[in-house]
Amino acid sequence: MTAYTVKNDISSSRGVILDDMILTADMPSTAGSRMLAGYRSLFNAEAVTRLVGNGYEIAGKVSVGEFAFDTLGESAYGGAYTEEGTLRYPAAVAVKADGFPALCLDVNGAPRRAAAQEGLVFLKPTYGTVSRFGTVPVACSGECVGIMARTAAECRLLFSSILGHDEKDGTSLPEELCSSALDERPIKRVAEIVFPGVENPLSAKLSAMGIEVVTVDAPVLFAAHEAWNILMSAELCNNVSRYDGVKYGYRAENFSGLDELYTKSRTEAFGSLLKTAILFGSETLSTENYMKVYDKALRIRRKVVEAFSALFAEYDALLLPTVSRGAYTEAELEAEPTLSYRENRFTAPASISGLPSVTFGGASLVGPAFSDAALLALAGTCEWEGV
Amino acid sequence: MDKEILRRLELLNQLALTEEEKAAFLAFYAEREGAWAELAAIDTEDTERMVHVLPILTVVREDVARQPFTRDELQAAAPDAGEGYWRVPRVLE
Repeated sequence: MTAYTVKNDISSSRGVILDDMILTADMPSTAGSRMLAGYRSLFNAEAVTRLVGNGYEIAGKVSVGEFAFDTLGESAYGGAYTEEGTLRYPAAVAVKADGFPALCLDVNGAPRRAAAQEGLVFLKPTYGTVSRFGTVPVACSGECVGIMARTAAECRLLFSSILGHDEKDGTSLPEELCSSALDERPIKRVAEIVFPGVENPLSAKLSAMGIEVVTVDAPVLFAAHEAWNILMSAELCNNVSRYDGVKYGYRAENFSGLDELYTKSRTEAFGSLLKTAILFGSETLSTENYMKVYDKALRIRRKVVEAFSALFAEYDALLLPTVSRGAYTEAELEAEPTLSYRENRFTAPASISGLPSVTFGGASLVGPAFSDAALLALAGTCEWEGV
Repeated sequence: MDKEILRRLELLNQLALTEEEKAAFLAFYAEREGAWAELAAIDTEDTERMVHVLPILTVVREDVARQPFTRDELQAAAPDAGEGYWRVPRVLE
């Protein structure tokens, strides 16, 4: 992994931080993995090109968990030195300490959890409104370039600078649809899903602002969790199969043939959580499991989208917790390396359905497609009213 | 899931897990299998698969020859390259 520092000679109104899943031509892009240590892209991500074109400067890059998948890398106890002696400095720590907003690739909800734990705002935009061209691909059918900032207004400003159709991204929406994500609409009625034993700090605050918050039961949304785990892992397995120690990235030193070169390079470069996810994803696509597991998850994705549509016929947004608790301790994360597979139960519904989600006040609001600005406006009102 | 299937998965994915990693994977897999039972309980017989949330169509651009990067630029990131080729161990014995 590479150590990053944030440049201090850029004013906070023009500087933006990038997480290490976002490719830059003038800085290394490692995806938090030994596999890409020192890797330098030949081009900038489209989001970076748009930022620079709109007068922003890249203030620095910050660390991520391996392929944005590992909770450890996103955790807010940043600033610690890893075993390899490099600095771990994730986006949530940098945004808080340095004041710059950040672009983060949201694969598995990690930046949403970090923002909730650190009292920051994070926008996971409507899928397809922000180009993913030039991001390291992991789980392409759900991942998005999101924005982390101290305020909702900062998020909106940055969002308006990077959204829009990009012909280089096959999943990019037409310009008029992208632009509609900036339309504002009132949010008056909010449905809330309660997770047993998990407190939602935003529920009472929204009620105090005069917003009607109604507890609802939508059991299929709970199934989004495991369905996204399956789809995400299967896509990850395919996407990281390109790393073989030949064309770029890490290569093992001692090998006797091509197969051993591949296996040793991947084994030495990938972390344990990533290996677990690769094997799990691979098995969900096996002949024995494809219909029972992978195909089932695809059908549940439609069920989840339909459940959201039914909810949004009556309510303007859905309130969910974002994380089960405050900051994790290093010991907890080391004791349960696959914690992210459990903690993403709050963030998976928006990931699998491509719907926008704004994390603020320690929780998340998910809205209909293109309600991004409306959700941010509500977050801004909460900030204004001090809730 | 058993050790034999795990061995095949390792071969397929060109990975070699330590004994500790194998034990962790088997425990993780058992946990996920338990959760699949909850998915199985949801009736999806009349529900179509949703591969993607967008109605993705094949994106075809005009077939115009271009060279955004040179061969040297593309090979600059390779661990071992030379004379215009990626260098790998001998494939034929």
